[in-house]
Amino acid sequence: MVVLGIAMDGEFSLFERHIDALYRSALRLTRKPEDAEDLVQETYLRAYRYRRKFQPGTNEKAWLFTIMTNLFRNRLRQRRAPEDPLDEPGTDFFIYDQLRREGMPVHLMSPEEIVVDRGFGDEVKRALEELPMPMRMVVMLVDVEDFSYKEAAAILGVKIGTVMSRLHRGRRALQKRLWEYSGRPRPSIAVGGHA
Amino acid sequence: MGRSDCDETMGRGSDCDETMGRLSLYLDRELSDDEVGEVKVHLQSCPPCEQVFDFQAELKRLVRKECCTDDAPARLRAWVRKLAVENTEAAK
Repeated sequence: MVVLGIAMDGEFSLFERHIDALYRSALRLTRKPEDAEDLVQETYLRAYRYRRKFQPGTNEKAWLFTIMTNLFRNRLRQRRAPEDPLDEPGTDFFIYDQLRREGMPVHLMSPEEIVVDRGFGDEVKRALEELPMPMRMVVMLVDVEDFSYKEAAAILGVKIGTVMSRLHRGRRALQKRLWEYSGRPRPSIAVGGHA
Repeated sequence: MGRSDCDETMGRGSDCDETMGRLSLYLDRELSDDEVGEVKVHLQSCPPCEQVFDFQAELKRLVRKECCTDDAPARLRAWVRKLAVENTEAAK
């Protein structure tokens, strides 16, 4: 039996089962294990403190992420670190476009062999952590944690259009960095067009 | 992107443009059932667009897989468990 997100009869609570998702996301936001642990702890303290506001049967993962992202943004504001915007016009297909431009046989290549199988370890995580914060949060929520646009918008307190815009620019910037990590040449011409 | 392929092989259909414009929404499961059906029909009949789809779908899976490798440390897990137990007892 589960009451207010708390474990009964020795079961894991609704809140506890999301600890890995919260921790890895906290890592992507803070980039430091000790700061990530601290952020997750504070998230859980708040979750239990305000647990009566949580409605059982609703999305507890989204509720926890709302708490965590709000806490993190408050910390950023206190440190006066700007949530730097990054304007990356173009399509969501940066890597694919580059391969096509290089005349590579894209149908014979997988993203994994292009990005990962080149002797690097954590290039995808590193690329995500290097995104400007607004885009990092959206890519993390949608692409890693599988939240819908609507859920991500509710978690971040922004419009769905804003989520889509940040997601688009974030993905593009992410792919651009992965492309650079892969050791391939920097694009010599503007990308995004395809006519 | 794949449209240049479509231009060469399929005579550049507006369906290709429309499908490419919807591809991310499709992969993110943000389209309506009708829209999903339209995209599927096009992908089945247009290998160049299907190739872009396969690549983007694999890239999305890769990002998720690579970013889901950090589990919470045992110390943090124990701390949260203790907090849950304390709150369970307090709620009784």
